[in-house]
Amino acid sequence: MSEKLMAVEIKGLTKNYGRKRGVRDISLSVREGDMFGFLGPNGAGKSTVIRSMLGLLRFQEGSIRLLGLDAVSNQREIMKKVGYMPSEPFFYPDMKVRDVIRFAAEARGLDCREEARKICCLLAVEEEKRIRELSLGNRKKVSIVCALQHRPELLILDEPTSGLDPLMQEAFFQLLLEYNRQGTTCFLSSHVLSEVKKYCANAAVIREGRIIRTDSVEQLSRSRVRRVRIWKNGKEESFSYAEGMKELVHRLDEMQVDDVLIEEPPLEELFMDFYERAEEDGNDIIEA
Amino acid sequence: MTLLKHELKRNGKALLIWSMCVGAVCFGCLLLFESLAETMKSMAGLYAGMGIFAKALGMDRLSIATMEGFYSTEIGLIFATGGAMYAAMTGAAMLSKEEEGHTGEFLYTLPLGRLAIVRWKYLAMLVLVLLFQAIGIVWETAGFALAGEMPAPREYALYHLAQLLMQAEIGSICFLISSLSRKKQTGAALGLAVLLYLADLLCRVMPSIENLKYVTPYYFSNATDIFAEGTINMPLAALSFAVTAAAGICAGMIYERRDLAA
Repeated sequence: MSEKLMAVEIKGLTKNYGRKRGVRDISLSVREGDMFGFLGPNGAGKSTVIRSMLGLLRFQEGSIRLLGLDAVSNQREIMKKVGYMPSEPFFYPDMKVRDVIRFAAEARGLDCREEARKICCLLAVEEEKRIRELSLGNRKKVSIVCALQHRPELLILDEPTSGLDPLMQEAFFQLLLEYNRQGTTCFLSSHVLSEVKKYCANAAVIREGRIIRTDSVEQLSRSRVRRVRIWKNGKEESFSYAEGMKELVHRLDEMQVDDVLIEEPPLEELFMDFYERAEEDGNDIIEA
Repeated sequence: MTLLKHELKRNGKALLIWSMCVGAVCFGCLLLFESLAETMKSMAGLYAGMGIFAKALGMDRLSIATMEGFYSTEIGLIFATGGAMYAAMTGAAMLSKEEEGHTGEFLYTLPLGRLAIVRWKYLAMLVLVLLFQAIGIVWETAGFALAGEMPAPREYALYHLAQLLMQAEIGSICFLISSLSRKKQTGAALGLAVLLYLADLLCRVMPSIENLKYVTPYYFSNATDIFAEGTINMPLAALSFAVTAAAGICAGMIYERRDLAA
C-alpha cells in the first residue's frame, strides 16, 4: 500500500444536539487523492459530520484533521485548500452570479477568473442573472463554481447531485473526475448508492449517527440482498432476497412468473443487510 | 476588507433610505423654523409653564423660540431616535441574517475565519453608523445654511460625537443580540431603541429612577444638555464606550463557540 497522507482523519467524533441525536464515535480516514463516498439515508448524520469538518458545528468529543491540520485550530488555513458544496446552496439573493463567484475568489485572495470562466462555460452558468432568479439546480451550478474555482486539494460535497438534471449530473461528475485525476481528494456524501458505486473507490456507511461500515465500494456492493420484481398475470409484486442465486431461480420457476427484474435494493434495505451482517460477525462496526 | 466592502454594499440601500428620510425631516424642520418663529415664541411661553414635561424635553434650559433651542429640543430628538433605530436594526441583523437567509454555510466556509468575520461585520456596523451621521450632518448643515443661522460649532460637533457613541452603543447591544439569535430580531431591536428613549424621558422627571441615566445612552447624548452646558457628561460617555466595546467582544466570544445553522 502506498504511503499516501490522509486528507481526512476523523477520530471518535461525537456531536450531540441536546436531546436530539447527533453523531456518535465517528472514525474514518480518507487517503489523499481518493474519491470517497459517504453513504447514508436522510437524517443519518452525514451533514453533521461534514458541518463539523468545516467548523460550522462545535463537537463535544473526538478530533478532525483535514489535509494534516487540526480542523478546529486551523480552520482558516484548511478552508483555503478546501472546496465545499452544500446540499442546498444559498447565496445573497440580490447579488449577481458573477459577483458571488468573484466574492468567493476575493475572500480567498485569489484571481480565479480563468478557472471560473472554464467551469461556467462547461456548466452553462448564467453569470448575469441575480441569485433570486435561479432555480435550485442553477444555484447548485454556482456552488460548483465557488467550490472548484480555486482548484482545492480537498472537495467536500454534500449530496451534490440533488436538483441537477441527469445531463448536468454527468457533466458534474466528469469535472469531478478531472479534478480528482489532478490530485483533488473528493469526499462525496450521498444517499444515492449508484453514484457512489460509479465514481468512488472507498466509502463509509452511516446510519442513525454511527458508522456501520467502511470498506471499498466493491466490497460494499457485494450485498446478498436483491430486490426482485416479478410480473404474473398482469400483476406486479416485489420482494427482497438474500439467499443464493440457485434457490432464487428455483423459486421463480415454481412461481411461474411472466417476467422478472432483479435489481439493487433501496439503500434502507442495504443498510439492514449491513446491520444483519455486523450482528452475525458480532461487531457493531465493520471496518475495511 | 473584502467582507467590509461586501457588507457596505449589502446595507447601502437601507442606509440611504434611513439617512435620507431622517436627514430630510431634519432639513425640512430647520427650514420651517423661520416661518414658525412667531408661533414658537408663544409655544415657548406655553412650554415654560408645563413643569416636568418642559424639563424632560430640556425646554427649561433652552428656549424653543431660538434656533439652537428648536434644534436641540425638536430636531435633535428626531435625529437621535431615528439614528438609534437605524443602528439597532443594523446591529440586530448583522450576524443573524446569515443564518436566517441560509447564507452562513457559504460565508463561513470561505477562508476568512469566524472571529475575523465577526470583527469585519462589527466594523461594518460602526462604519454604517458613521455614514448615517455624516449624511445627517450634510442635511442639517444645508438646512442651517438655508435658514441663515448656524449652530455653535463646538456644541454641534460634541452633540454629533455623542450621537455617534450612542448609536454605536445601541448598535453594539443589538449586535450582541444578533450573535445569540438565528433570526433577525428587528422588532426587539426597535423596541430596545424606543425603550431606552423612554428611560431617558422618565429618569429626567422622576428622581426615584434617576439611576436609569447610567443605563440609557440617550441621557449623555441629549442635545439640550450638550447645547446648554457646552460639554458631554464624560463618565457616562466613558461608560457607554465600555458597554459598546464589551458588547462587541461578548458577541465575538459567543459567536465563536456557537453552532451555525444550515
